Amino acid sequence: MSQSQGRVLIVDDESSIRRAVHNTLQGMGFHVDEASSGEAALRLAVETPHDVVLLDINMPGIGGVRACRELRRNLPRLGILMLTVRDSEEDKVAALDAGADDYITKPFNIRELAARIRAAVRRSSASQVDLDAPIRIGSVELDPARRLVRKGGEPIHLTPKEFDVLHYLMAHAGLPITHARLLQAVWGPEYGGELEYLRTFVRQLRKKIEDEPAEPAYLLTDSHVGYRFLEARPEPVEVRS
Amino acid sequence: MDGDLSLATLWVAQSNGGTRADSWTSYRNFVRSRIGILRGCLAGMAAVALVTFIAFRLHLNLSTSGSLYFLIVVMVSVVWGFWEASVTSLIAVNCLNYFFVPPVLTFRISDPQDWVALATFEITALTVSRLSTRVQAQARAEGRQRAQVEKLYELGRRILFLDRRRTIGPQIVPLVKEIFEAEAVALFDATLARLDSTGSTAEDLEQLARRAYFQDSTLEGADGRTWAHVLRLGSRPVGALALRGPDLDRLAIVPIASLAAIALERARSFEKEARAEAARQTEQLRTTVLDALAHAFKTPLTAIRTASSGLLEAGRLTADDAELAALIDEQAGHLNRLTSKLLQMARIDAAEVGIRRERVSVLTLIEDALARLREQVHGRRASVSDSAASLEVCGDREILAAALEQFLDNAFKYSTVGSPISVTVEENLGEVVIAVHNEGQPIRPADRERIFERFYRAPESRHRASGTGLGLSIAKKAAEAHGGRTWVVSEERTGTTFFFALPSGPGRRYESVAG
Repeated sequence: MSQSQGRVLIVDDESSIRRAVHNTLQGMGFHVDEASSGEAALRLAVETPHDVVLLDINMPGIGGVRACRELRRNLPRLGILMLTVRDSEEDKVAALDAGADDYITKPFNIRELAARIRAAVRRSSASQVDLDAPIRIGSVELDPARRLVRKGGEPIHLTPKEFDVLHYLMAHAGLPITHARLLQAVWGPEYGGELEYLRTFVRQLRKKIEDEPAEPAYLLTDSHVGYRFLEARPEPVEVRS
Repeated sequence: MDGDLSLATLWVAQSNGGTRADSWTSYRNFVRSRIGILRGCLAGMAAVALVTFIAFRLHLNLSTSGSLYFLIVVMVSVVWGFWEASVTSLIAVNCLNYFFVPPVLTFRISDPQDWVALATFEITALTVSRLSTRVQAQARAEGRQRAQVEKLYELGRRILFLDRRRTIGPQIVPLVKEIFEAEAVALFDATLARLDSTGSTAEDLEQLARRAYFQDSTLEGADGRTWAHVLRLGSRPVGALALRGPDLDRLAIVPIASLAAIALERARSFEKEARAEAARQTEQLRTTVLDALAHAFKTPLTAIRTASSGLLEAGRLTADDAELAALIDEQAGHLNRLTSKLLQMARIDAAEVGIRRERVSVLTLIEDALARLREQVHGRRASVSDSAASLEVCGDREILAAALEQFLDNAFKYSTVGSPISVTVEENLGEVVIAVHNEGQPIRPADRERIFERFYRAPESRHRASGTGLGLSIAKKAAEAHGGRTWVVSEERTGTTFFFALPSGPGRRYESVAG
């Protein structure tokens, strides 16, 4: 606890959740502030710089999604992590579209929450992403400048669109990318609803980069939301108990 | 003027051998008709006597008095009928002979031409009275028909105003009795197995109505004034109506029965509608409450899990403390899964009212389901057949994925550790059938149906894996909400396979798009 792992703002209308998260995160070395509404969070976030905001999606008042949109507009580099409940997929997509980086489903394991917060802190403190920088995650390497992909050193042949999809996902590794966002980023702004089309693409891609396409290790599905590329782990892989 | 008809009816009754004749009633009718004829005959005779007296005193000749007699006969036929006119004409011809045909005051006829005149008189009188009676009868029949149509119209109109929330039988029976001036009415409603009647000696009518329904036909009562007709909707018998009354015949009862059948059906469809609406409202309320409850559970669960996992993470606990914190964490997780499933169940229940439909490939559903299970499967794999990518179903993606998740979760939980789990998909007889197979202890035959029931857990599984007793019922409800079905085949040798079948429906197969 000698050195703060980052400054976190927890926004939830339930005081029991704020208390529990506050205490546990503080115990793990984070500096924690609390807000009980979206309006209060907007004020607080502008007054004091935070690394990450934990934002409950269902709150009275302006609500999580609108608060997220406002925060993102005012603070482009702030890490925003939505707290959602399972089976509210539409809310998740809405939050991601409103600019949230990631979401975590209640009730969560604190270790997972801490890992997500640390990743967000890392991203927000990292310099601007260099889109042409080579990316290496696990055994997959991608070189945007030469449009080259290797898996365990072996070159993989991808079609131009497959390459673009993979590049976009790897550039945002660890973050959920909604179907609509991926379609628009790769195919253009007029796309967004061609889900089966995208799924077929991802299947082809998985056949090429995954050891076991049915059980993907890199290119992960986020149920009903979109896709997420495995996060590059700077620290040694933890062993789960 | 009823005499004519009654006598005719009587004759028909007698010619039928009187087997169905209730002797007292027919005797009464017989007397009544005799009295009717007698009245007409007496009037005719009186008129003939009067004319004879006047004509004789005024010494009118044969042709003048003949015309006067003829007038009387025609009038009697118009007022009373053919038989009265015939009797009157016979008396008239005899008077003519006696008083006016020479030699007068004898029945003898000297001139053969007078024979011709008398015969002509009689034949013409009979013919004209026959014709006039027939015209009368026709007019009467038309009048009766018009009255009948008016009554039917009235019945139809009044049926529209029946209270559809109350049973129709007791309402319609007095209505029919009143409008058709029947003595008694009975209605047998086969759907409700209910008999309603009104009027005198209605018990016989009830029996007759019941018989008409079971024989699916029109029946005539013993007295010839009682009729029963089966009520049909399309070709389906739904009950029977029986009537007794003076003006009723086989033709009259058929349209009455049709109207009664329509009234029953109207009430039935209203009831169905009302019941569906009530069920929908109950379901909606239940869903809302369940949804609110499940969400309300999530908040304390989140606080508990955060605290318990936080305690463990902080690493300052003794081994015993850590054990207890782990227990809290684990049970909070279990409670959370239960809550999630209740929430899913509520959503499926709600979706039955109006399901969102989109075409989605089966592989997508399986991928969604596996992604949701990622944390729980701990690296175990399920192999998916290639056909999954090319087959599509139409339905709510979330609900269908949730259903498959239950099957897969089940397979991971109850399979022999390390054994393969496979998902195969095929189209068969208009259904897309998804089969999730695992190896492991078979499900007892007695449990194969029951495991799909809400909260049921097979006895041997209660102590083995942490289940909620909700998963398979979610899968079943989801299938049913989409017009599909679920079942299980389980054997010691081959393992257990859960099937999820959905109608493949109209629409194209998904063509894969190459990159």
